[in-house]
Amino acid sequence: MKLTGLTHSTLCLAITLASLSAVAGVTDQDISDSGKRNDQIVVNGLNQAGQRYSTLDTLNTSNVKELRPVWALSFGGEKQRGQQAQPMIKDGVMYVTASYSRVFAADARTGKKLWQYDARLPDGIMPCCDVINRGVALYGDLVIFGTLDAKLVALNKDTGKVVWKKTVADYKAGYSISAAPLIAKGKLITGVAGGEFGVVGKIEAYDPSNGELLWTRPTVEGNMGYVYKDGKAVENGISGGAPGKTWPGDLWKTGGAAPWLGGFYDPTTDSLLFGTGNPSPWNSHLRPGDNLFSSSRLALNPEDGSIKWHFQTTPHDGWDFDGVNELVSFDYQDGGKTIKAAATADRNGFFYVLDRTNGKFIRGFPFVDKITWAKGLDKDGRPIYDDAHRPGEPGAEKKGTSVFVAPSFLGGKNWMPMAYSQDTGLFYVPSNEWGMDMWNEGVTYKKGAAYLGAGFTIKPLNEDYIGVLRAIDPKTGKEVWRYKNYAPLWGGVLATKGNLVFTGNPEGYLMAFDAKTGEKLYQFNTGSGVIASPVTWEMDGEQYVTVLSGWGGAVPLWGGEVAKRIKDLDQGGMIWTFKLPKELVAKH
Amino acid sequence: MWWNSVLLALLLTSAAHASPGKDPMPSVMWQFYQQKMLGDKPFVFDDKVVLQAPPFAEDSRQVPIQVDARAYAGQVEKIIAWAELNPIPRIFSFEPGPQVQPLLAIRIRVEQATPIRAAVLTKDGVWHVGSAWVEAAGGGCTAPSVVRAQEGWEERLGQIHAARFIHGNDSRLRLRVDHPMDNGMVGGVPEFYLDQAQLRDEQGQVLANIELFPAVAENPVISLEVQGHDQARLWLRDNSGNEFEGEF
Repeated sequence: MKLTGLTHSTLCLAITLASLSAVAGVTDQDISDSGKRNDQIVVNGLNQAGQRYSTLDTLNTSNVKELRPVWALSFGGEKQRGQQAQPMIKDGVMYVTASYSRVFAADARTGKKLWQYDARLPDGIMPCCDVINRGVALYGDLVIFGTLDAKLVALNKDTGKVVWKKTVADYKAGYSISAAPLIAKGKLITGVAGGEFGVVGKIEAYDPSNGELLWTRPTVEGNMGYVYKDGKAVENGISGGAPGKTWPGDLWKTGGAAPWLGGFYDPTTDSLLFGTGNPSPWNSHLRPGDNLFSSSRLALNPEDGSIKWHFQTTPHDGWDFDGVNELVSFDYQDGGKTIKAAATADRNGFFYVLDRTNGKFIRGFPFVDKITWAKGLDKDGRPIYDDAHRPGEPGAEKKGTSVFVAPSFLGGKNWMPMAYSQDTGLFYVPSNEWGMDMWNEGVTYKKGAAYLGAGFTIKPLNEDYIGVLRAIDPKTGKEVWRYKNYAPLWGGVLATKGNLVFTGNPEGYLMAFDAKTGEKLYQFNTGSGVIASPVTWEMDGEQYVTVLSGWGGAVPLWGGEVAKRIKDLDQGGMIWTFKLPKELVAKH
Repeated sequence: MWWNSVLLALLLTSAAHASPGKDPMPSVMWQFYQQKMLGDKPFVFDDKVVLQAPPFAEDSRQVPIQVDARAYAGQVEKIIAWAELNPIPRIFSFEPGPQVQPLLAIRIRVEQATPIRAAVLTKDGVWHVGSAWVEAAGGGCTAPSVVRAQEGWEERLGQIHAARFIHGNDSRLRLRVDHPMDNGMVGGVPEFYLDQAQLRDEQGQVLANIELFPAVAENPVISLEVQGHDQARLWLRDNSGNEFEGEF
């Protein structure tokens, strides 16, 4: 920008000053090293594989009972809704998101708030399942997150001021963003939410420095992908090759399959690993066929977004088994051979182990106690349906036959991410035991209106618990231990080299378990439900643990009979940070 | 080092020479704002900086003011304005380039009866301060936004109504932009206001820079005067990163 006769531009000056005062921000090297470095947390999932595993062992099974809260910070205001973010830590500063598209930066040592950004949301936002957000991406001097009105916002990490803002999709058509964006090979990657409104799911890459669109990949078969060169869209192939192969008529134009939970980048196969959600509408009789690429796991080329492989967990999904669940990379030994695997615990109740080099099914097994909709998986991992448990076609009636299905549409496991311990080789899966009565109804697409064509009511399967934290061996399908929880579990899990597993519950407790035995060793009541993902890091030679507290999310909105179990849980909005004081490490 | 001393001597001389004169306002806050806004630069109370404002704010949320420093045309580096007794006092900071007159009209909010100040920094390093007094019933800054109470305000966000009025060799450019200008003082409503503006010519070159603060009224109305009748655009950006542009 050329200035004509002005001594300086206040705008340019402000930006120069901000960058001069800044400590070097997050680099590609920081992101590659995320699995090794314990002094900072710069990726969602703690390492690039998304394992939520920390190599810290200062805090361990023998001293975890000495864990102490050191500070708490309230998100304030009247906006006490579900808090689901994973905190990020860089250079002694913690960056988290809160409900209603807010971002907070706090001093990681004291909890002093450094800045706060509140996105100005229009009245007409359409989040399906509470006004939550799952965290930021850090890159260079920027803190980047997605908003409920489907925009990406990049903030300066020192001031919280907006550097750039881009519209990803039209919120009036039902799009929103709740997942943390991902940085992969210098690109900013995001998905979108909106599967309840008949959107077309897509994964997109942006230039993190200025928010310019680099490529877009629709996740519904039949829609064209594009790469952008010098601001021009260049066709890059139709997803799935052509429309109409697995969808009837033009339903692919409103097919859903929203990649609403984000994804991970696997450097060992140079792939973006994303999950996709339910096909739209929920009523499966309206859309005969497999409905690609709904309820699938996708591997994308990060350079141009083309699909390398896909694995569909629930073809022709008729139960909102919205199989968006995270695909966690891990390696294991089999007869002296290293298997590059990836695991996912699906909403539909099955746990899958895939070959992450090609998406081939290695094995699968139920991880919940009761599955009615399928009799099992065939050799390729495709479900063997039990047609008695697909809700009936309404035909001329207003409602089709109602059936009982387990798991419920909120899933054997919902969004809450599992952890993988590199020491025990086990996955720690936050799951729920519930079923539903479900029936189908007629529905037609209308922009911005719910597009379900189904009704439902959720029921607990047991009197004394819904939530089950499970330790699962991915090689055998064996459940090594379980912890039962009265309310449904809705928070992420963390595993550490200290033989510990952390998670929270809606009752408000942050809990720590022995990773080998499942014995509960520690709990602390944070005052409101914990439905976020705990993290751990090291600062000044001490090990810290942080988790957000704040009840909300999808359960209180969709709960049915489950609502009785949660009616006394209260809302909140706090960051809680704990540490093991130095002198107590020595004692043990 | 000799030139440092010369510079210091020059500064001291000009400071010594400038006698600020008597404050025309019955102000309790002048010293505070002088230090905060003008720093240690010399200043004079100067009625050649014409600050026009209505004697009584009929609507405390929409008070029109105009700063006219054309008496110093060609010498102005920057104009800043504030309302002394507002909870958010700062109104704007304006840097007119050579083609733009040192004149700006805008609508502001006032919380109570207050002195309004416009300080004009000329190239010789002196601040020339114009003043006006506005009586008000009050509450303009802490009353809920009218814009936000309207159905579908976000549909109209950033709508621009712009016009050019020819004044001989000059053009007066007047623009209204629909924006709630939330100042963060109403419970549960975060700050959301236009904070940057630039007047640009057809080639995108910057003719003037304006920094805005949430003392500016909602649906801001801004008027500027430029030389000639060439096309111009006013670019605006809010603290949420939304960008808008109006053409004249």
